[in-house]
Order: sequence, then structure tokens, then C-alpha cells
Amino acid sequence: MTKKILTSDQRDALQEVTNIAMGQAGASLAQVLGEFVQLSVPQINVIELEEINQALAMLVGATTVVSAVRQAFTGALRGEAVAIFDQEGCIELAELMGYEKELTPKAEQELMLDVANVLIGACIKGITKLLQTDITFSPPSVMAKNMPIGQLMHPSTMEWKLALVTEVNFALEKGRFTCHLTQFWPESSIVSLAEALDKFIESF
Amino acid sequence: MLAWNPSNLLPVLIDNIDTGIFVLDTEFNVVLWNRFMVSHSGKHSTDVIGHNIFDMFPELPKKWFEKKIQSVLLLKNFSFTSWEQRPWLFPFAHNRPITGGIDYMQQNCVLMPLENPSTQEIEFISVVIFDVTDTALYQKQLSEALNELEQTSITDGLTRIYNRRHLQASFNLEFSRANRHKFPLSMIMFDLDHFKKINDTYGHPGGDEVLREVAKRVKPLVRTEDVFGRYGGEEFCVLMPDTTLEGAIAVAERIRSVLQSVPVQFGNLHIAMSASLGVSTLTSEIRTHQELLQLADESLYDAKHNGRNCVSSRQMPVNSSPA
Repeated sequence: MTKKILTSDQRDALQEVTNIAMGQAGASLAQVLGEFVQLSVPQINVIELEEINQALAMLVGATTVVSAVRQAFTGALRGEAVAIFDQEGCIELAELMGYEKELTPKAEQELMLDVANVLIGACIKGITKLLQTDITFSPPSVMAKNMPIGQLMHPSTMEWKLALVTEVNFALEKGRFTCHLTQFWPESSIVSLAEALDKFIESF
Repeated sequence: MLAWNPSNLLPVLIDNIDTGIFVLDTEFNVVLWNRFMVSHSGKHSTDVIGHNIFDMFPELPKKWFEKKIQSVLLLKNFSFTSWEQRPWLFPFAHNRPITGGIDYMQQNCVLMPLENPSTQEIEFISVVIFDVTDTALYQKQLSEALNELEQTSITDGLTRIYNRRHLQASFNLEFSRANRHKFPLSMIMFDLDHFKKINDTYGHPGGDEVLREVAKRVKPLVRTEDVFGRYGGEEFCVLMPDTTLEGAIAVAERIRSVLQSVPVQFGNLHIAMSASLGVSTLTSEIRTHQELLQLADESLYDAKHNGRNCVSSRQMPVNSSPA
């Protein structure tokens, strides 16, 4: 499935790096929340722009109504991460994230942004740390509220053709909270990613 | 005395920049407090530095902010707040006291972990506060303008009740809702009697006054969930969700009564008016909202034929036989 973007060594390295980073992210999240967190094995795919919505529907479930938060990271490695939440979103996490009063719609959005920021930050930071590059994050923003997964992305307004997508599913052991975390590495960033992966391979 | 060279510009820059910057240690004690924070909080850096931020500013949402800072410490990661969800962290005055119309300075905040390069431990957290009041004001004006535009696009200019466009959108919506949940849905169509004569006798300003008066008198008789609008000309419509035929007939009778009760005052003149009303209700035979409308129209036609100033109703179209 990974088209000729990464060599098989690079791809294995990315899988390895992602596994480690996601594992660390899960542990960090568990520490922040004080709850056990389960995660799936990260999937790495190369997708073309036209098939992005189908690809997401495959990952998340075609009939799912979702809310989503996006956040950009910049540096030697650039890209955007999208955290996709089930319709119930992360209301269950309100108390664990320090929200005391009843959740207003605004507070609910803020909570979603907070949770996405924690997950995205932990994952990307983990990956870039292993690859020994520095990145900064811009503020996250809400990209969709209660929207069918098939309408999440608008390919006609997007400029890229090919992207590397890594996906992992986080869930709390107790309760129903689940979040699909996807990272999009645009074509322009894949060269730098490949170089960083080569360095990572050499370091062993 | 320090030599004035680029290496010591940074503290001066941080102190003078028009953005709030402060730094906390891991115990939430303030270790840096720039001039922006001084002038907006009214608390001088010498009063704040060395003190716990929550003691100095008890109005801060402590539990949430602590959690937020803990996540920065634990994950060694940035964290953010945005004015759109949390308008402000500190209740600072903004610089639009006259033209503002917003309570406090709207703030975007960035929380950054500051890593000690030799130990790689996070020992400090910086908080940067951006004043985004202007952005928030523009956004507010924009959404108000959009709201107004939306209101205008569904309002009848003369009577200020809903227009035909909104009525039709509501027919669609309420019809499918009623069908899906098997809720009752009824409709009143009414038409002023001999309106052309009113226009001919009193001129169009007189006719307009009568139409406005109709809206004014009927409005108090409908519930908030009903959709009352001008269908066109002198024809009005009330769409009544969750209402049986009997309920709708009762309302129609009240409308009829209030319209003909007293003449409409037009300058020194008094214009008498009355209306004919047709009522229909959703039954299993009706498949589209157009059929419901058609039925109300036919009932209205009956009312006209029965001598006007009265209410008629139909449960079944004339051309269809009872099931």
C-alpha cells in the first residue's frame, strides 16, 4: 500500500518510531488523566488526495459522525495532525481535565482542543524527538462538529496530491472515550522525513 | 554597567513588547512578569515575583489551570487557549473603552515549557498572552451582520413576520419531522375578505396598514413553535407543529374573531376587515407537504364560499375517497 515514497527500510523505521512515540504518548496521556489508556497498532499509509475521505472512513468507520480538531506542526518536519473524536466527543474527560462546572458548548470545544493538543503534542513530539529534530506547534482549531466522516475533508480546496498518513486509535480502558489520531505528512515534508529516518536507521 | 550590545537586548525586548509574558516555576510561583502584565494587572513585578500565581490572582480557574500546566510539565509540550472558547484568562481592561462593547481584553494564550538545557528538565513554564480584542470585535460584528442578514432574508418587509421563503422551508422541515415521529401537524391558511376593495377605497397605504395590523393582532395568538408568515398578497399562513385539527380550528376561530373585532385605525379613518380561514391537518393519506398546503387552500376556498368571515376545514382532498 505504501507507494514508492519510502524505501522498505524507511517504512519499517517509521513504523518503529511511530510505535514507540505512540506508546509514550499513551503513557503520558494516562499520566495526565490518571486513567489507563489503550492504543491500537499504528497504521501507516500513503494516500492520494482524491481518496482521502474514503481512506478516513476506512480507518474510523464509514457511518460514523465525528468531531475533529486539527493542529499544525512546523520545523524541519512539517505537517498537520487531525484528532477525530466520536460523536460523544470527550465529554467523559471533562472531570479528568480539570473542568469543574457543567460543560457549556464553548467549554466542550475547549476540552476537545485540550485533549487533541495533549495527544497530538505527545505523539509528534515523540516522533520528532526520536528523529532528533525540533518542531513547534501552532494553536489547534476545531475543524468539524458532528459531521459525517465522509465530509470531513474537502479535497477540492486542497493543494497536495499525496500524503503519508499515520493513524492510531486511543481509548480509555474505562468508559467510551476514543480518539483516532491521524498525522498528515505532505509530499514536501516526506523528503525531510525520509532523511531523518535514514539517520535514525544509521544510529543503530 | 552592562555593555549595550545585542546579547542583552532580549530582556529589554521581553519587558517592552506589547504582549503579556510571565514565567512560573513548577510550584506556580511567578519568576518573570513583563511590563505588559504590570500595566494591565496593576500589580508590579516586585509585588508578584516570588508569589504563588493563584494567591495573587484568586479569580484564575485554579483546577483547570493547574491541570493545564501539569500537562505542559509532563508532556514537555505547548498548550493553548483561544478567546473563542475562553475569552480571557485575566480580567484585563481593553484599549477600546469607548468603541468596544466587550467586557474584558480578549486573549489567546500559549503555555510553553522551558527546558533547562543541561538537565533537560522542565523547570519553568512561560505563559504568553496575546491581546486579540480587535479580532474578537470584528468576528462579533461579522456574526451579528450575518445574523441580521439571515433574519432579513426570512422576514416579510411590510409586516415583519416570516416571508413565503421561510414558510416553505418550514413546511419541509416540519412535515418530515411530523412524519418521522408521527406527531400531529396542522395548518391554517387565511385570506382577508375583499382586500381589493380596501385598496381601492383607502389606497395602498391603507391596505398596507391593514396587513401590518393583521400581523400585529395574530402574533399574540400563536405559540413560539408555530410558524406564522405572510404567504403572499393578503394571504397568511400559520404552521402548527404538535397540533391536532381541533386545536388548529380553535386557534383559527380566535384569529377570525380578533381580526373582525374592531376596525383598523388608519389616520382618522376606520377600516373594517375580516378574513376567511381554511384549516388542514396531516393524515396518513397525505404524502407531501404540498398536499397539506393544497388541502388548507381548498378549505379556505370552502370558507369563501360559505359566505366569508368563517373557518372551514378538510381532512381529505375532495377528489380522494376515504380509505
